[in-house]
Amino acid sequence: MILTRGKKGQEYRTEQINLQENLLRRLEVLGLTEGTVISVVNKNFNGSMIIRVRGTRFAIGKKVAEGIFVREVKQK
Amino acid sequence: MTNVAFIGNPNCGKTTLFNAYTGAKLKVANWPGVTVEKKEGAFRFHNGNFKLVDLPGIYSLTSYTMEEIVSRDYILSDEVDVIVDVIDASALERNLYLALQLIELGKPVVLAFNMMDIVKERGMEIDFHRLPEMLGTPVIPISARKRSGLDILMHTVAHHKENDSNKYFEHHHEEESLHKHDHHKEFAMVYSDEIEDKIDVVSKRLSKKYKEIQNVRWHSIKILERDAEILKKYPIETEDILTKNYETEIINQKYDFIHEVIHECLVNKTEKEVFTDKIDRLLTNRFLGLPIFLMIMAVVFFLTFRIGDALKEVFAGWLDIFSAWSEAVLLALGTGEVLTSLIVEGIIAGVGGILTFLPNIFILFLALAFLEDSGYMARVAYVMDGIMEKVGLSGKAFIPMVLGFGCTVPAVMASRTLENPRDRLKTIFITPFMSCSAKIPIYVLFSGMFFPENPALVAFSMYVIGLVLGIVVALVMDKLDKKSSDDLLLIELPEYKTPSLRTVIIYVWSKIKDYLTKAGTTIFVASIILWGLLNFNVTGLVADSSESFGAQIGAFIVPALKPAGLGYWQIAVALIAGLAAKEVVVSSMSVLYGIEDISSNAGMSEMMVLLAAQGFGALNAFCLMIFSLLYVPCVAAVATIRKETNSTKHTVFSIVFQLFIAWVMATLVYQVGSLFVG
Repeated sequence: MILTRGKKGQEYRTEQINLQENLLRRLEVLGLTEGTVISVVNKNFNGSMIIRVRGTRFAIGKKVAEGIFVREVKQK
Repeated sequence: MTNVAFIGNPNCGKTTLFNAYTGAKLKVANWPGVTVEKKEGAFRFHNGNFKLVDLPGIYSLTSYTMEEIVSRDYILSDEVDVIVDVIDASALERNLYLALQLIELGKPVVLAFNMMDIVKERGMEIDFHRLPEMLGTPVIPISARKRSGLDILMHTVAHHKENDSNKYFEHHHEEESLHKHDHHKEFAMVYSDEIEDKIDVVSKRLSKKYKEIQNVRWHSIKILERDAEILKKYPIETEDILTKNYETEIINQKYDFIHEVIHECLVNKTEKEVFTDKIDRLLTNRFLGLPIFLMIMAVVFFLTFRIGDALKEVFAGWLDIFSAWSEAVLLALGTGEVLTSLIVEGIIAGVGGILTFLPNIFILFLALAFLEDSGYMARVAYVMDGIMEKVGLSGKAFIPMVLGFGCTVPAVMASRTLENPRDRLKTIFITPFMSCSAKIPIYVLFSGMFFPENPALVAFSMYVIGLVLGIVVALVMDKLDKKSSDDLLLIELPEYKTPSLRTVIIYVWSKIKDYLTKAGTTIFVASIILWGLLNFNVTGLVADSSESFGAQIGAFIVPALKPAGLGYWQIAVALIAGLAAKEVVVSSMSVLYGIEDISSNAGMSEMMVLLAAQGFGALNAFCLMIFSLLYVPCVAAVATIRKETNSTKHTVFSIVFQLFIAWVMATLVYQVGSLFVG
């Protein structure tokens, strides 16, 4: 599923990132690569969201979130 | 002389550290991207001379953003002797990524683990014995804010400069590599066998073809990552090697190693970050986020005008006394009438009048300092992203706009954090519509005179008009510009912290100093010139200022201002003079109407009588405020726009455009308003 459909407080593992080259690289250097665990901290009405990646919070726009495909991480 | 470069992730405290060493007072705040230019400073330590360079924060040594290119080019140049990588130890995982890249460069690197006070607060401990073993480079715990560990850090830097001896690495990888190119004893960061093989092949080719390359391994890795700049600079045969893009793998393996490091060196990895999350639950709430932001801004302006006004009365009282005293002294000394007039009606009225607004300016910047240093600024980008997206900008473009409430010059410079050049330009065009602090005296004076029931509300309306107009202009530009924007929101949200007293003092004092300097230079000179223009014409000294040079100049543009309700030669002169600095509009009014204490209640009512006699009423005053809000910013701002856009065409467009909008809006309000006021 795409990250925009993610629920607040839930963790997801990145499966694929479909974004333009430039943005993809910017995400990668922040440690958001395929296989990274993302937790959704907050969501806004317009689709932008706050996520936590490798211990750091980021605000990302809707178009960024739409390019990230994830799978839910089952909580123990 | 030792050249030391400070590098590190955005918002990790490089500038705070730089200030601590050099005694400089560069601006620091708690949002990523405050430093956009490299800054140099010097200091002496133990009989050694050090040159320090503060670089813009970057996440990686790639070359995708302006900041990255500036910082990387400098780090790669021969100018740097020692690299100090400032690391936010409270966000170790992400910060170590850049550290690994820097270590790979092969230059002397010292890791400064900053924010150790926060690490301790959270109950975490870092193994500073094991870390250098794993990374092969000195690691020094410091706190730039608390100024601890600074001497040890510089001491290490001085020693590390000559240190070229082989480092000893001790890793306990789960499966110790039995590969023929075992690099584990040589390098901190060792990749998978597949990648190490490729690195070896590329290294061989590189060093054969380009003997001048010093750090071959780093260049080889960059080639495997298909770094555009390096590939262009050192083209080699790669078709047989680059069978796929290794960038993602290289990044992932670095993060894997970082996990290993953190696993071994970080004790008590508790996630005690609930504080920030709790605040964020409220401040970035989908329903409350926007109202809370608007409320905060309303409170800021309310404080600026209400409390500022109360204090201003005190200042105005002192000015009155000083003015009367000066006049008496000058007369007693037998000073000529002309010179007395210059000093009392020109300089004291002009410059002094402006100084009485100091409390308002002080409170505004105090509030902005708190907003910037608390960590809230980056949240504003998130909260405003919805609205900004609709006008084709990302929420990040809103940060320069908020800064614009303080001063247009740094606000325009802050637009550098936007990656997309088109969005940068758009942001630069709309930032001057944000009402800057220099316009406060205009609002205080005219809303105080003509809207005595609700002066703060009328002043606040100017901020709203400027903000709304800026957003509408961005929307129109977006519609005209067919290509849709691709500057998408991506910004780090720092931890909230209590603003540091030192930071706030540095910030506010630098603004106050700017204001005083402006009063002593620009406004001082403008007041003298204006006094000259008002008291002379070709025949010499004139008794009636309506026959002066000033009146003649003003009369020239009066017809153009008439539809906007501003067709008075005095107003015209004040607006022209206001191009030097917006406060000059007010200082000019006092010189023009010969009022020595324009900001006091007595001065205001005196001025109002004079204006009313000319038929200048509340509607005219409102239009004057709108025109002042929107027309061409001061020369300093125009110069910054020229520098940042690097285009005379765009600068001229910006000037003409602002003038046009100001005229249209003021005219619209005056014409429509006249129908009701009669």
